[in-house]
Amino acid sequence: MVDAFAYVPAIVALPFVSFLVALAFGKYLPKGGAFGGIAATAGSFLLSLWVLATVAAGGQHVETLYTWVSTDGIAGGIGPQEIELTFGVLIDPLSALMLVIVTLIAMLVHVFSLGYMNDEGEPDLPRYYAGLGLFTASMLGFVVADNLLMAFMFFELVGLCSYLLIGFHFREPGPPSAAKKAFLVTRFGDYFFLVGVVAVFATFGTASFAGSESFPVLAEHALAGEFDAWTPFGLEAGTWFTAVGLLVLGGAIGKSAQFPLHTWLPDAMEGPTPVSALIHAATMVAAGVYLVARMYGFYVLTPTTMAIIAFVGGFTALFAATMGLVKDELKQVLAYSTISQYGYMMLALGAGGYVAAVFHLMTHAFFKALLFLGAGAVIIAMHHEENMWEMGGLKEKLPVTYWTFLAGSLALAGIFPFAGFWSKDEILYEALVHGLNEPLLLGAWAMGLLAVPVTAFYTFRMVFLTFHGEPRTDVARDPHPVRWNVKGPLTVLGVLAVVAGTVNMVPVQKVLGIEGIDLLHLWLDGHYGGFSELTSHHYAELGPYSSGYIAGGEVPTVLIGAGVSLALALGGLGLAWKLYNVAEPAEHTAALGGVKTVLYNNYYQDELQVRLAGVTAGVASAADTFDQGVIDGVVNGVSSVSLVSGDRIRRVQTGVVTHYAALLTLGVTGLILVLGVLGGWFL
Amino acid sequence: MSVQQPSTVEPLAALPAQTGAAPLPEWTALGPVLALVAAGLLLLLWDTVFPNRRTNTELSVIAAVGSLAALALSGWYLAAGTGRPATGGAITLFAEAITIDGLALFFTAIVASVTTLVVVASRDYLTDHETPGEFYSLVVLAAAGMALLASASSLATIFVALEMVSLPSYALVAYLKENRGSVEAGLKYFLVGAVSSAIFVFGISLVYAATGSLLLSDVAAAFGDLGDLAGVAGVGVVMMIAGFAFKTASVPVHFWAPEVYEGAPAPVSAFLSSASKAAGFAVAFRVFTEAFHLGGEVTAVGIDWALVFAVLAVVTMTLGNFAAAVQTEVKRMLAYSSIGHAGYALIGLAAISAGGSHNGAVMGASMAHLFVYGFMNTGAFLFIAMVERWGVGRTFEDYAGLGTVAPMASVAMTVFMFSLAGLPPFGGFFSKYFLFAGAVFNGFWWLAAVGALNSVLSLYYYSRVVKAIWIEDPTDALAAVDSRPTALYGAVIVAAVATVVVLPGFGPVIETAEAAATALFG
Amino acid sequence: MVAPEYYLLLAAAVFCIGLFGVLTRREALYFLMSVELMLNAANINFVAFSAYYGDLTGQVFSLFVIALAAAEVAIGIGIILVLYRNFGVTDVTVPRGMRW
Repeated sequence: MVDAFAYVPAIVALPFVSFLVALAFGKYLPKGGAFGGIAATAGSFLLSLWVLATVAAGGQHVETLYTWVSTDGIAGGIGPQEIELTFGVLIDPLSALMLVIVTLIAMLVHVFSLGYMNDEGEPDLPRYYAGLGLFTASMLGFVVADNLLMAFMFFELVGLCSYLLIGFHFREPGPPSAAKKAFLVTRFGDYFFLVGVVAVFATFGTASFAGSESFPVLAEHALAGEFDAWTPFGLEAGTWFTAVGLLVLGGAIGKSAQFPLHTWLPDAMEGPTPVSALIHAATMVAAGVYLVARMYGFYVLTPTTMAIIAFVGGFTALFAATMGLVKDELKQVLAYSTISQYGYMMLALGAGGYVAAVFHLMTHAFFKALLFLGAGAVIIAMHHEENMWEMGGLKEKLPVTYWTFLAGSLALAGIFPFAGFWSKDEILYEALVHGLNEPLLLGAWAMGLLAVPVTAFYTFRMVFLTFHGEPRTDVARDPHPVRWNVKGPLTVLGVLAVVAGTVNMVPVQKVLGIEGIDLLHLWLDGHYGGFSELTSHHYAELGPYSSGYIAGGEVPTVLIGAGVSLALALGGLGLAWKLYNVAEPAEHTAALGGVKTVLYNNYYQDELQVRLAGVTAGVASAADTFDQGVIDGVVNGVSSVSLVSGDRIRRVQTGVVTHYAALLTLGVTGLILVLGVLGGWFL
Repeated sequence: MSVQQPSTVEPLAALPAQTGAAPLPEWTALGPVLALVAAGLLLLLWDTVFPNRRTNTELSVIAAVGSLAALALSGWYLAAGTGRPATGGAITLFAEAITIDGLALFFTAIVASVTTLVVVASRDYLTDHETPGEFYSLVVLAAAGMALLASASSLATIFVALEMVSLPSYALVAYLKENRGSVEAGLKYFLVGAVSSAIFVFGISLVYAATGSLLLSDVAAAFGDLGDLAGVAGVGVVMMIAGFAFKTASVPVHFWAPEVYEGAPAPVSAFLSSASKAAGFAVAFRVFTEAFHLGGEVTAVGIDWALVFAVLAVVTMTLGNFAAAVQTEVKRMLAYSSIGHAGYALIGLAAISAGGSHNGAVMGASMAHLFVYGFMNTGAFLFIAMVERWGVGRTFEDYAGLGTVAPMASVAMTVFMFSLAGLPPFGGFFSKYFLFAGAVFNGFWWLAAVGALNSVLSLYYYSRVVKAIWIEDPTDALAAVDSRPTALYGAVIVAAVATVVVLPGFGPVIETAEAAATALFG
Repeated sequence: MVAPEYYLLLAAAVFCIGLFGVLTRREALYFLMSVELMLNAANINFVAFSAYYGDLTGQVFSLFVIALAAAEVAIGIGIILVLYRNFGVTDVTVPRGMRW
C-alpha cells in the first residue's frame, strides 16, 4: 500500500506551488491564477482526506525531514544538551483533522473568490491568489509542524501573509494601516512566543511535540522529579514552566485575538471578504488556539496557566460579544463574534476541555467561514455596501444566501441542533463540572454563559437587519445577483453547519446511554490512531481539575447545562426578533444608549425593554470605549512614547562636534566615577 | 618591538598548523594581511605608473583580487583548522605581538568579504572621479589594518593597528572633497576619533603603569595581583572601553556615527559600519577575554566587566533603535540602526559570567551576528550608494516606488531590511536567535528580552523602507533612474544572496564562531 | 628617584589640560594641539613606568605614539584644509549641516 504519510509534505507544497505559479505567471493565466489555486487546494484537500483515513485506520506519523542546525560536536554548544533544529511533520488525530478543515475552507474560499474578486473586476488578481496560496501553505506548514521552532516560523509566515492580504487594497487609506496594525499587534505577542521558544530549548533541549523525548513529556518527568530541567535563578520547575507557558501563550493570544491583543482583528475587516473568511475560520486566528491544543500536554501541567487561559478566554468571550451589539457593519459584527468564539475555545482549553475546544474549533471553522462568505455574497449583492441599515429584505432576492446564512447564524447562536450548539454546550459543560471545585474557573464559566444570550442577540439582530423587513435602500430593492461560484461554497458550508455537530453528541450519549456516538472524543483519544502522550485522556490525567456535578449527578448536570444555555440563546434570539424582525427596525441600542430622554417609545419597547436596551448599550459602549480608548491608547501610547523619546534622543545629536566631545567626556567620566566607586578604586 | 623576554611559549603553539603533508612556514599564517597589504601597495604603484587613466576598472579589479585572496586564505585556514586547538593551538608571531587563531581568521574573513563588496561597488560609484587610485589603496590598506587588529595580541600592536584603520578611514570619509556633507563628516570623524584614540592610548598607558607589560598574556597574569595600582588599572580599562566604543560606534562614543555614516560616500559608510565595527569587536573580544579576565573570576580591579558591557549594550541598542525610528532619511536611519546593532553585538561581551557554561556560545553568536551583519548592512548601504548615484533623493518619500524601476535591487533591499529586523527566514534571524538564546542560557534573559523588544521597534522603521519601495506610488524623481551600474548591482545582489544563503549554511558559520570564541575562554 | 605616583599625577594633569582644550577651543588647530597634549600625557606614563619597571617596552612604544600622532596631524591638516575650502572657516563648530 502506498503510504499516505509520504505525501504530507505535498499537502503543504501544493498551495506553495500555486503561490509561485500565480506570482510568476498569474498575468498570463485565465482568472489571474485562480484555477491553479483551486486545483492546488483541492489536491491538498484530497490528500488530507487520505491522511485522515489512514489515521482512522490506526496510523500516526512523526518524521524529521531536514536538520538545518545541529550542534553536534561544538564545544560548549547551545543549551543544556545537544540541540538540533529541524523541520519535520507530525500527523496525529489533531493535525489530520485540522489539515482537512484548513484545506476544505481554503478550497472553498478560492472558489468563492472567483465570484467575489474576478466577477467584480478587482485589479491585481495574481497578487491576490499568490497571497492566498502562500497563506494556505504557511498555515498547513504550521499545522503539521513537529516542533515548536518550526511552528513558530510558519506562525510568523502566517502573520506576514495576513499583512499582505489585509493590505491588499493598498491604494486606499484604511487597509494598509489595518494591515500594519494586525502585523504589529500580533508580532508583539510573537516576541513573547519567540522568547518562549528559546526558553523551551533552554529548559528541555528539544522542542518536539511528540515522542518520549518531547518537551511536554520531559516537563511531566521534570515535575515528577525524574528529569533535571534547567531553570533560571534556581526557580522551581513548576513556576518556571508556568512562565514559559505564558510566554508562548503570548503568541497565541496575539494571533487568536484574545484580550488584550484583540484590537487588530476588527480593523482587519479592511481586507477582502474571502480573506476574512480564511483568516477567521481556518488560518490565522485558528493558529493561536491550535498552538495551545498542540502543546496541551505542557499546559495541563501548570494550573496557573490553565486558569489564566480559561479566564482570558471567558472574559474575551463576553467582552467581545457585548461590543458586537452596537456595530452597524455586517463584517464588524462578524469580527467581534470571531473574537468572542475564540474566547470560548480558550475557555475550553483552560477548563480542561481539550476535546470541546477542538470540537468548537471545527464547527466554528465551518459556520464562521459560511457567515463570512455569506456576508461576502451580501456585499456583492449590495455593491460593496456593508452597513446593515442600508440593507433589509434581502431574503426573497437571495434565497440561497439567506438560508445558508441562517443556518450559520443558528449555529453561531448555539441553537439546537445546529453544529454550534453541540460544541458550545460541551465547552460550558466542561467549564461547569470542572469549575464547581474551582471558583476562578466558575467565574470564567459564568462569563461564558452570559455571553450566550448576547451572542444570540447580535447574531439575529444582524440576520434580521440584513435579510428581513422591508428593503431600506434602492440597492437593497434590486440587488446584484450572485453566481454558482458563490452559491456552491455557501451550500457546502451550510450543510456542514447543520450537521457537523453530530460527530460528537456527548450530551445524547450521556443522557440516553448510547455508546460510540462521541466520535470526536474517540478520535482525539487515540481510539483509531495517534500517540499515547497526545491523547485526551492522557491530558485529563495530567490536568489539575476534578469534576463536580450539580443536582445529584452527571445526567442532570448535562441536562440543566444544556437547557440553561439553550434557553438563554433562545431568549437572546427572541429579543432580537422582537426588536428587529419588523418592517422598519430602529436603532434601539445605539439610539437609546446615552440619550436620557427616550423619544422612541412609539416603537416596540415598554419600560423594561428601554431599560434593558439602555443598560446593554451602556455596557457595550463602555466596553467599546475601553477598547478604543484604553487598549488603543496603550498601543498608540507605547508607540508614541517610543517616537517621542526617539525624538528626544536625537536632539542630543546637535551637529556640533565640540558638544560630542563634551558628551563623550561626560560619558567616560561618568563610567569611571560609577565603576570607581563600585570597585573601590579611589580609596 | 619588545625587548622583554617573551613569556614561555607553549611548544605546541609554535607548530605550523596546516593539514597536509608539508606544513607551511609559520609566517604564512599572516597571509590574509599580507595579501591586503600587497594589493594596497600594488594599487599605489598602478596609480603612479598610470596616473591619468579615466577608468577605474583595473584599480577595482586589483583591489578585489587582493581582498578575495585574503578571503580565500582566511577561509582556507579556517577550514584547515589553522591556529585552532586541534592543530596545535594559536600561532604567535613577533614575540607574541600577533596571534593567529580562530577569532583572528573569522574576523579577517568578515573584513575581506565586506572589502570585496565595497571595492567592486566602488567601480561604479567612483566613475568620473579624478583620483580613484587613492580611494582604493586607502580602503585596502585600512582593511589590512582591520585584519591586523583582529590578530593583534599586544596593546602596542593593537594601538598601531587601530590607527592603521582610523587614519585611512578619516581620509575616506572626507573623500568627496567638494561635498560639504562629506567634509563635515570627515571633520567630525577625525576630531572625535583623535580624542578617542588619545583617551585609548592614555588608558593603555595606565594599564602599562599598573602591570608593566603590553602583552595581553602578561597583563592577564599581572591582573591577579595589582596591589595599590588596582584603581589605576581600572581607570585604564574604562578608557580602553571608550576606545573600543569609538571603533564599534557604541555608547558613550557613538556620537560621530550618525553624521559620518550619513555624510560619507555610501560605500565608505558600508565599509566603516560593517568591517570597521567588526574589527573593533574582534579586538574587544580578545582583549577582554585574554587580558582582563572577562568570563573569569573578578580580579583585584573589583569590577565584573560583563556588567559594564551589559549596561552599555542596553543603552546602545535602545538609543540606536529609538533614534532610528524617528529619522526621515534612509541613510541616517541605517546609521542609527548600525548603532543599534552594535548594541546587539555587545551582548557577546555582556552575557558572560564567571564559569558560565555558554560563554563561548554567546560570544560566538555575537561573532556570527557580525558576520551576517557584514553582508546585510553592506548590502543596504550599497543600495543607498546606487540610489545616490542615480540622484534620487535621500528621504523615505524619495524612495517611493523604486520597486517599479529597479525590481531586482529592490528585492535585495527588502531582504536586507527584513534580515536586519531579524525576521525569519533570513540570516539576521538566525544570528539574532542564537545570540538571544545564548544570552538566555547563560542566565541573561533580561538582556535577551531587551534585545527582543528593540527588535520589535526596529521592524517599524525597517518596514518603512520596504513600504516606500514597494507600496507607495512612484514619483517623478524616479526619472533619474537611467542607468544600470553593473558592478554596483552585482555587489548588492551578491550581498543579498549571501544574506539568504546563510540560511542553509548557518551551521558551519556558527560552529566556527563558537569554536573560535570557546578557545578564547579555554 | 621620583615616586611613580607623581608621574601619574603629572600625566593626568597634562591629559586634563588637553581635554580642557578640546572642549573649549573651537579653532581646529588648537583642537589638534590639545589632542597632542593628551597623547603626550600617555607618553609621560609610558616613559616613566618604563624606567620604573626597568623595561624598554614603554619607551619604544612612546616613539610609536609620537610617530602615529604625526601621521594623525598630517591627515588632520588635510581635513582642515578641505574644511576651509568648503566652509571658509577653520572653526570646528561651524559645520553642522547634519544633525538629529
